[in-house]
Amino acid sequence: MVQAILDAISLGGTYALAALGLGLVFGVMRLVNFAHAELITISAYILVVTNDLPLIVSFIIAAVVTALLAVAMELLIYRRLRGTGPAIMLIASFGLSVLLQRVYELIFGALPKSAAIAPWMSGEVKVAGASVTISSIATVVITVVILLIAGYLIERTSLGLQLRAAAIDFKTARLLGVRSNRLIASAFAMSGVLAAIVGFIVVVENPQVSPMYGVNITILALVGIVIGGISSLRGSALGGFIVGVILSLLNTFLGNARVYAYSWLFLLVLIILLVRPGGIMSKANEMERV
Amino acid sequence: MKKIKNISGITHFSLTELLGPALILIVFSCLIGFSSASLMLTVQLALCYFVMVLALQVFVGNSGVLSFGHGAFAMLGAFVSGLLTAPVRIKNNALSMTDLLQSIADIQVNLYLSLLIAAIVGGVVAGITGVFLMRLNGLAAGIATFALLGVAYNFFFNNTKFGPGSQALPGVPKFQNLFIPLLLALLALVLVYLLNVSSIGRTLRATREDNLAAPALGINIIRVRRIAFALSGALAGLAGAMYSHVAGTVQVQDYYLGFTFLTLSMLVIGGSGSIWGALVGTLLVISVGQVLLMMEQGKAIFGLSIDLPNGARAIFIAATLVVALLWRSSGVTNGKEFAFPNFKKKSN
Repeated sequence: MVQAILDAISLGGTYALAALGLGLVFGVMRLVNFAHAELITISAYILVVTNDLPLIVSFIIAAVVTALLAVAMELLIYRRLRGTGPAIMLIASFGLSVLLQRVYELIFGALPKSAAIAPWMSGEVKVAGASVTISSIATVVITVVILLIAGYLIERTSLGLQLRAAAIDFKTARLLGVRSNRLIASAFAMSGVLAAIVGFIVVVENPQVSPMYGVNITILALVGIVIGGISSLRGSALGGFIVGVILSLLNTFLGNARVYAYSWLFLLVLIILLVRPGGIMSKANEMERV
Repeated sequence: MKKIKNISGITHFSLTELLGPALILIVFSCLIGFSSASLMLTVQLALCYFVMVLALQVFVGNSGVLSFGHGAFAMLGAFVSGLLTAPVRIKNNALSMTDLLQSIADIQVNLYLSLLIAAIVGGVVAGITGVFLMRLNGLAAGIATFALLGVAYNFFFNNTKFGPGSQALPGVPKFQNLFIPLLLALLALVLVYLLNVSSIGRTLRATREDNLAAPALGINIIRVRRIAFALSGALAGLAGAMYSHVAGTVQVQDYYLGFTFLTLSMLVIGGSGSIWGALVGTLLVISVGQVLLMMEQGKAIFGLSIDLPNGARAIFIAATLVVALLWRSSGVTNGKEFAFPNFKKKSN
């Protein structure tokens, strides 16, 4: 029971981080960055490949490379597509996603690569009389810390103020002196770092990294930001969290019908969207701006 | 009267706009299709994709609302048509289908009837889901239709009563020649063109251009979108069914993310505003893929033989998509219908 609750919270937290990464980019440029999946994947690959190095070193390498890749995406591709509309940018991001998957396949091979990352995390400890895995506790701690840091950055710093302003109304924010290119590039960098952290969390649980490793989590995080309320960063993170918790609970309590967990999740998503098209955080009759 | 320029999509019926793409489709299919057996298969696949892209054009192109749900209707069409036409003997004995409902295992209808049923099923399901989904706009609609695809995939992947589950359904009869798929594609082309010049098509494009002005002019946005969604769902069902009769099998993975995004990419690359764009996008993506495949296999193309390492093909296809969008974000045709090239000097 304790394990089930911890699992739910840790999965929710992971999806919240992924959703926050997607939400940051969406906020500043109305881009649903499907290639976020490949940011998570590259982080996981690097962690596996550099497993011989101390964990902290290999994580820093992963974070730097992932952030650089994210910024490169913006500079080389998304910057040139700005203003073409969300549908075109979404398709482009999908193309980029497939492109990167194939590049990974060429570099790392189509078969999964694996390594025991932070093996001490798979041990168990006793908490309140029940044994739980260290990794689930660690995940909860990491996500809480990261969400707090992200919350501080977004709520208390000038960069965060600009990000929030841009998420609400990008045009007005620009008129008020927000430097758009720099802001968007930093949003991508932050989203890259978040993806690296998500990559770390998931690779500890499942070290079998293949080219499509990040796709599943990205899709669910995307679902999360839409049901959470797409125009607020808090809503995005909350939506991701909700999706993770629901999925984890469905997996625990559906028993043999577990294979249909995704069906129930998606049906629930449909219902939420029909009742609240603007997301849970929006007012019932608010029109969407995209 | 001065013609309005830069408008995407058709306004009036014009024989050129309909016959141009139709002729190009026929010539392309026959020229390429009859040159070798493997190319025949490629052309048949291209025709399935074209019907699917047309289905997307009707809804996504005209309404501007992104839909990932059409993969679900194609999946449904494929399962309906595949299960209805696979021989009773195979369905009762195949190891992958021991759980199949007896009533499904014992039924067999002919190919044409099953295609029709697949289209009807696709249309009906799209019509019913559309009643709810069409209330949504923008990204919420995109995610909701994606949820539909997710449910369909999850259901068919795990359910062994209404299909082979994660395995392949064997023994689906294949198209014996090029003419049936070509005829179906032409039929779809004509239907979609007529729909696009009808008042439904025009009002739909009006809602795409301005979703505040359109209702102010008395257009019921939700109603026209529902109609278009149902019709495009029927076409998607047909496309999925055709695909199953080209592949000779039904496998749920074939209609999931890859299929959905490939067909959406074809539409966007060609230009989502017109059937001409749908055709150009489909032929372009298929041709690039085929040429790269032949290079990978070391075959000579026009006497030229370029060796490509394995795996390079997939990279090139994805790169083509990204470059095409960077080069021309509104599609190769700019969303315009077919017209003869105009060499006369433009007077401004």
